[in-house]
Amino acid sequence: MATYYDIPVGAQHISLLEPLHFKLTTENEKIVDVEANVGYVHRGIEKACTTKFKFRQVSFVIGRICGLCSISHTTAYSQVAEKLLNLEIPLRAKYLRILALELDRIHSHMLCLSHVAENSGFEALFMRTMKDREISMELLEALCGNRVQYDYSIVGGVARDLRPEVAQMILTQLKELRSKVDDLIDIFQSNWSLSLKNKGIGAISREDAMRLNAVGPLARAAGVPVDVRNDTEDLLPWKQVGFEIVLENGGDVHARNMVRLKEILVSMKIIENVIQGLPEGPVVAETKALPEGEAVVRLEAPRGELFHYAKGNKTQFLERLKVKAPTFSNIPAFVEMFKGNEYASAPAIIASYDPCLSCTAR
Amino acid sequence: MKAFLIAIGNLFKRPATIQYPFAPTYKPDDYRGLIQHNPELCIWCRRCEMACPPGAIVFSQAMDGTQTYHYNRAVCIYCGECVRNCPKPGAIIQTATPASPALKDENINNSWAETVKQALESRAAYMAEKKKQAAAKQQGGENPA
Repeated sequence: MATYYDIPVGAQHISLLEPLHFKLTTENEKIVDVEANVGYVHRGIEKACTTKFKFRQVSFVIGRICGLCSISHTTAYSQVAEKLLNLEIPLRAKYLRILALELDRIHSHMLCLSHVAENSGFEALFMRTMKDREISMELLEALCGNRVQYDYSIVGGVARDLRPEVAQMILTQLKELRSKVDDLIDIFQSNWSLSLKNKGIGAISREDAMRLNAVGPLARAAGVPVDVRNDTEDLLPWKQVGFEIVLENGGDVHARNMVRLKEILVSMKIIENVIQGLPEGPVVAETKALPEGEAVVRLEAPRGELFHYAKGNKTQFLERLKVKAPTFSNIPAFVEMFKGNEYASAPAIIASYDPCLSCTAR
Repeated sequence: MKAFLIAIGNLFKRPATIQYPFAPTYKPDDYRGLIQHNPELCIWCRRCEMACPPGAIVFSQAMDGTQTYHYNRAVCIYCGECVRNCPKPGAIIQTATPASPALKDENINNSWAETVKQALESRAAYMAEKKKQAAAKQQGGENPA
């Protein structure tokens, strides 16, 4: 009879970036069953948003949900509030939102890639990816005036306009970043020691990814074409700015790395198109209306589909606000990914999944 | 092999990190820094106070009606919402100066709670006084002595 051992990983663990708890049941070195617990950083932000803050202030509160995809939350909330107000925002504001979203995607993907490298035991690549990521952080600082909490989207538009010198800076620095990303693609694709830890590890089949409703890079690495940017055109003009979906087959850690790296290239292309085709006009639409009714918004955050629901009752305070983060949608697929792998591969699988617990638990 | 050569080459390169306390880090010209209030231009509408998400601005009121602006740099999130909501350009502006760290001696959180409480009390007292005066005036108007 086989002997099973339960090994707890988290909520504090050296290979975990966030307080996420797993109970891995192993047979010898092989993982046979996984339980995940995600509620460790609950902060009650949704309740605070409906009781303590006026609806225009909520877009700043909701940005504090997460430091990595802060702009995704702020933009999704701003969009849902604009739906409640029946407000159409200027095209320039939409373009600038795309610009900030894509810059954020670059830095978030590079952070994930560096952690995959680190958790696979390749510290030098971790350092290198983090060093290259600094370029995108600087660009975000130049655009939004802050390194982490951008507060860029506000209800009705964006907080500040793009200055011509910043636009020029983004274009020149992106050129520099592109050659670095090309080098990174080369390393991630052909490094032998990395391939031992990444290729064929943590694989999920296309059928499983579809059955378990995977979203984001995890699903796209398995060949499932889910991307909100591909589906919706009503809130942000993704097709106009040259978005194209990135798909990989295989569904393993390596395929997820490749999806992220190629998405960085797509994001760079989008940013260049946005800056070159930026329409003239105001960046904020003013209104004195109050939020009324119900609305939902979907937005592609770096980790997948972000879902915001809001309900207003014609007062300054919202009646209900609900955020569903991509990490939460991916947990069933994530648990499936572990099964059949070696226990030693677990850190790399966790990193490649790119968990964001502060989004999930709020 | 290529990676090995790069690694050897890196031994002779300068560090990739910025030597921060000795060399400045990147800071944009329109960095989101401290909020500055100009009492000469201010029209005392308190819209910045109403718009501020964390409540880092509060106005107190003396008995003669003059208002004083109070600001807490440790509570402020530097979003610039006060500047966007200000109807008078220049009355409240966002500078590019980063905030200095809060020190223990300042007791910045507790003293701020006290400031907010006192400011709201002073405003309530002013309003009550004004109401009393108005009532007295009305009464005086109705029953001339």
